[in-house]
Amino acid sequence: MAVRVQFENNNEVGVFAKLTNVYCLVAIGGSENFYSVFESELSDTIPVIHTSVAGCRIIGRLTVANRHGLLLPNSTTDQELQHIRNSLPDSVKIQRVEERLSALGNVIACNDYVALVHPDLDKETEEVLADTLNVEVFRHTIAGSVLTGSYCAFSNQGGIVHPKTTVADQDELSSLLQVPLVAGTVNRGSDVIGAGLVVNDWSAFCGFDTTATEISVIENVFRLNEANQPSVITTDMRESLIETLT
Amino acid sequence: MTSQYNFKKIVIVPTAKDFIDIVLSKTQRKTPTVVHKQYKISRIRQFYMRKVKFSQQTFHDKLSTILTDFPKLDDIHPFYADLMNVLYDKDHYKLALGQINIALHLIDNVSKDYVRLLKYGDSLYRCKQLKKAALGRMATIMKRQAQSLQYLEQVRQHLSRLPSIDPNTRTLLICGFPNVGKSSFINKITRADVEVQPYAFTTKSLFVGHTDHRYLRWQVVDTPGILDHPLENRNTIEMQAIAALAHLRAAILYVMDISEQCGHTIEQQVALFESIKPLFANKPLLVVLNKTDVIRLEELKPEQKTLIQGFIDDDIPVMEMSTLSEEGVMNVKTEACERLLAHRIEVKIKSKKVEGILNRLHVAVPKPRDGEVELEDDYSLDLKKNYDLPADFKYDVIPEFWEGKNIADYIDPDIMAKLEELEREEELRIESGVYDKEEEELDEEEKEIHRLAGKIREKKAIIAIESRIGRSGGAPVMPRAGRKRERSVSRLRTEFEELGVDMSNKGGAHFSRTKSRSASRPPIKKARSDSTGRVSSSSRVTPRDQSGIRNVELKAKAKKMGHKAQGKMNQFGKAGEADRHIAVKMPRHLYSGKRGIGKTDRR
Repeated sequence: MAVRVQFENNNEVGVFAKLTNVYCLVAIGGSENFYSVFESELSDTIPVIHTSVAGCRIIGRLTVANRHGLLLPNSTTDQELQHIRNSLPDSVKIQRVEERLSALGNVIACNDYVALVHPDLDKETEEVLADTLNVEVFRHTIAGSVLTGSYCAFSNQGGIVHPKTTVADQDELSSLLQVPLVAGTVNRGSDVIGAGLVVNDWSAFCGFDTTATEISVIENVFRLNEANQPSVITTDMRESLIETLT
Repeated sequence: MTSQYNFKKIVIVPTAKDFIDIVLSKTQRKTPTVVHKQYKISRIRQFYMRKVKFSQQTFHDKLSTILTDFPKLDDIHPFYADLMNVLYDKDHYKLALGQINIALHLIDNVSKDYVRLLKYGDSLYRCKQLKKAALGRMATIMKRQAQSLQYLEQVRQHLSRLPSIDPNTRTLLICGFPNVGKSSFINKITRADVEVQPYAFTTKSLFVGHTDHRYLRWQVVDTPGILDHPLENRNTIEMQAIAALAHLRAAILYVMDISEQCGHTIEQQVALFESIKPLFANKPLLVVLNKTDVIRLEELKPEQKTLIQGFIDDDIPVMEMSTLSEEGVMNVKTEACERLLAHRIEVKIKSKKVEGILNRLHVAVPKPRDGEVELEDDYSLDLKKNYDLPADFKYDVIPEFWEGKNIADYIDPDIMAKLEELEREEELRIESGVYDKEEEELDEEEKEIHRLAGKIREKKAIIAIESRIGRSGGAPVMPRAGRKRERSVSRLRTEFEELGVDMSNKGGAHFSRTKSRSASRPPIKKARSDSTGRVSSSSRVTPRDQSGIRNVELKAKAKKMGHKAQGKMNQFGKAGEADRHIAVKMPRHLYSGKRGIGKTDRR
């Protein structure tokens, strides 16, 4: 199920949270409401952990994570690293990387098997990424933008990319990632998918402004319910999409 | 999403009397009020001109906001234009706005005239009279607009209470005879909460509600009932329904009461349908038979049934529902929404807009990657399938090693021939005596070179060890420039000789010091300087570190003392007298008193 949530009146939930299949990181904010939403949805199955990275709340944009590991930027303090290490299960490898593009979440998008990265990422970072997260790494752009982490969100089930991605690009990306993809928006037409949406294989959290149509696209492409299939987007939802988009 | 047809923001139109009061009091407040007759006449004229101009400007601003705020009937959507015509009478509306516009120009002209006259005013009294006349005339002009202003205020109040219907969005439009259950239906599918009463014309204006279907928001418009009579006989209430029917591109739900409890027979209702049929052209249409809890379609009399059958024959879908038992209500809504959606999509597909979003209607399904082996139960990558071999050889098993030998090594068919050739070659070499020669003796000169080289290597190793020992103490390594001179030609010479190098005749080897290559020579003529060593042509201002010092010795002494005094401070990073320093953070004399935060007169 996709849940609408806000971080202190801000709809960019992907900035303040990181969600994987085995854990969830949530920023430390002034209000616990944001955390509570995640906790109520997830705490039965996976740990939901409060953390900051380099003293910042924008943890979603600074980190990359999947079920195998977690990459943190070089600016992460030792205490934070210690805290995260203590909170996460032992199976999760944690690694701090020295990378010029330190907002790792903006430049890397990944699921448990593949990662799409910024074309200018360091060779070393790429290796660390492949080793820590157990992923195949592809240097790619999305709709002509190098910020792969910002403009797409994908799980092992499916993915959403920037609304201006061409059909050919979508097919290519889909073949790389081996998941069904659809071009879409969140937060009432926002194209920064990565910032507006966090998703794992069974749940999704999006900004408060996300419309019903957007939510149903999300639920279908990520297969969040039994009944949901990505193909529904082209069949049952087609009219609604045309109607809302034109 | 806010509708562009929001008439709630129109500024209040004051009555003529209020209008004049507002402007005149504003003029009084915002312009200078003191003038004396002994002032220069130009100043007096200017004083009154300002007043006239100011009130004219205020009138002008207020009137033009009225003109811009009120919607222009020609610019707005025809639905609203028509609705406003029905409700407020187009001619009256336009006339009122026209009057306001004329008043605006008249006031401008009055002001222009009086400002011109004021230029010739020759005394304070005359100027004042001219001003009075100007403001009086402006007020008179406004007073004549009393009717228009009053009318416009009423229009404004009514407009702001109109339901905000978006003429371009997905709309379901409910129409039919009075009392057939239109409002009950809208109440069932939306939260509009329209008043429902058992008498005709309960609904006297348009009502709007919103409902959801297929992730979209749908606008449902409830219209007042319509009676079957010619257009020119229709009253304002009915005309609103007609305006909505005529201009909204909506799905029409024509509601009929088959129980005839509304007081109109099915025949009459069908007749009304026929008479307003032109308004349904090019719109999805649905005939809804309401009140099936009283009587069902099957239970109708045959002649009534034939009337209903007429709709089906014309390809108009007929649906039954009961707003009382809620039977079929949702079906009607769904059907209407689906029909309208299909209709709208059909229109949109033809337009160019859809091409822009085609990529968003596409789900990219992954293709298996190149060369990837399918790891399912019944499939493995078959590499031998495409061998260029006879079919019965393709799947032959060939071992890699056989009896401890790599069989690929024996794959060469003429390997024995090659081996024989190599052996023959070797034999030839032995025969010709290539391997017979003994190692030559070194001559005397070469021996000497070897000895020297050995010595050099030994010395190098010693130097390396020494330097390593020297460095291991952790003492700071001084740059060579700061160290005592340790390299010299003579030392080099002795060291080389120690090593046994002959240094007797090395004149051409740059061991001696070369001449300076510097192009700048010391000046031939010496600059004149005074006793303290300063050049006489330089500035006579004493530098600050030398002022008040008698002579060179004292200067040097002072400098040394200063340097010494600085030493400790620098060493321990202490604050000097030049550093910012607050001796007492909160001096008592500033923070004691009756007030909790200090004395009244101190901040």
